[in-house]
Amino acid sequence: MATLFIAQHNLEAMLERLRRKAEVHGPVRGEDGVVRFAELIHGILPDLSAIRTLLPPKKYLLHPRETILKYTSEAGYQLPSESVPPLILFGLHPCDLAGINYLDRIFLGEDPDPLYAARRSALTLIGVSCTPDEFCSCHLYPSPLKALSDLFLNSVKGGFAISSGSPRGEELLEVLKDIVEERDINVPEDTRRFFGHAVSAQVRPELDATLPEWQELADACLGCGACSLCCPTCSCFDVLEFGGLDGRSAVRVRQWDNCLFKCHAEVAGGMSFRKNRAERFRYRYRHKYRGFGPLQGIPACVGCGRCRVVCPAGLDLRPLAARLEEITP
Amino acid sequence: MRRLRLAIAGLTACSGCQLLLLNCEDELPELLEQFEFHFFPLACSPALLEGEYDAALVEGCISMPHEKELLLELRRRSVYLIALGTCAVWGGVAALRNGESRELLRQQVYGQSPVASETFEPLPLQSVVHVDAVVAGCPPEKEELLRLLADLARGVLPVDIDYSVCAECRMKENLCLLTERDTLCLGPLTLGGCGARCPNMSVPCEGCRGPVPECNLHKALEIYEQKGFDRTTVLARLRRFCPGWKL
Repeated sequence: MATLFIAQHNLEAMLERLRRKAEVHGPVRGEDGVVRFAELIHGILPDLSAIRTLLPPKKYLLHPRETILKYTSEAGYQLPSESVPPLILFGLHPCDLAGINYLDRIFLGEDPDPLYAARRSALTLIGVSCTPDEFCSCHLYPSPLKALSDLFLNSVKGGFAISSGSPRGEELLEVLKDIVEERDINVPEDTRRFFGHAVSAQVRPELDATLPEWQELADACLGCGACSLCCPTCSCFDVLEFGGLDGRSAVRVRQWDNCLFKCHAEVAGGMSFRKNRAERFRYRYRHKYRGFGPLQGIPACVGCGRCRVVCPAGLDLRPLAARLEEITP
Repeated sequence: MRRLRLAIAGLTACSGCQLLLLNCEDELPELLEQFEFHFFPLACSPALLEGEYDAALVEGCISMPHEKELLLELRRRSVYLIALGTCAVWGGVAALRNGESRELLRQQVYGQSPVASETFEPLPLQSVVHVDAVVAGCPPEKEELLRLLADLARGVLPVDIDYSVCAECRMKENLCLLTERDTLCLGPLTLGGCGARCPNMSVPCEGCRGPVPECNLHKALEIYEQKGFDRTTVLARLRRFCPGWKL
């Protein structure tokens, strides 16, 4: 079958052409061994052998800590003026693409978040296929989330089969046309196949609050927050307002939060909807495997495995999910 | 607008937390517009307690009778009393040898020479008076101190931090010194707010801000043990800043 092909040795040339369009970021292994999404400046190649970055690409859309409103007594509350230059994210795995798809459903839904929307429209997504390791679970169950990208590179012998998924992708193909060729090659099924399956949003019985597993998880959890901070779909945030020293100005800040933290479900007066960590684990499980609110029935877990890799206590929700969701590994 | 009247006092400690305020050079002119630093012996003399204060910021633990008197006096005169720094909040370094014989410690330090003042086992402020808010850290972050003052100016107290050093360390996308380097990093047990100052520089967290709410000491000790740090070593490390750590 005739397919567009780009040779491995043309990767650098490809990035060079992309850089003419916008700043390009991709997975880069630091001197400390940590793989992070970072700028692919000239001479730096993305580490396409890395299974996952430490933080997912959500860091580009929702900053760990950011000002969402500024207040002055003269002008009242105003959105911060932020210029959002175009950015190309290169080397996104299907799970991370599905993660962005999930965030889009939350932040671009009925009442779009202006900061998210501006940053999202500035992003061009270039995906790449991958091979799941023992921490991944994308292949274990069907997800209704789609691994949408503007361009997708499917790893084949000697290079990549390249396909476009949007008008923006078509434009990029135009930029790359001198290094892209048509070839008759057998393209293996790509790793996006784990996503995009329609799952009937079946109404499941409420999760049993008396399951001993909730307490067992709570007893083993350090409460460090790594699981959700490194999760591509965890997007809970805390909103805080800090007054200025002048007594007339203020900034309103949002920062990443975690449903296992003490104050996550706390309300005025110190009351809490989920007082102990066992209750919070049930809540976390429900969100990750069953979804809730407008996304009821859509599991938020994209199977990237980050929560398992980063947990200092080695916690893993998969065995519980295998039982409660009847997933057959 | 009336300037808020403050008392800034230091008890048994190194004065580093009070110094933090003087190090806010850029903000000092603005601070002087908003606050009257009426009692601040470290910075201005003569310093005499007089009338009432909107807030007292107290650094250090108490280990001498006259400090206890001063603390009670500050409490009586102030709307808010704030524990500034780990010594005031938890006891800190001065309380490192709490639980051991005072007589023995005195001999170790001063030998046979007479000691002028009576001392007792160093205590955090809250063991003597009601504390309205705490700012932990050895020393706290400058931003925390400025935020506290801005909050006071707005008539509110700072929001409690509920996350550990790990949370901010992850947000910075640092290498995890506990899981990847098997070091005795106390991040998971330690109150956040410092922006993971030490792990940012590849230095394991020393626990200088004291315990994070709901920390899981039992499980953490198990994990440290797997990495070759026995319980005694870990507890000794934790107690350098907070003698209250118990199994």
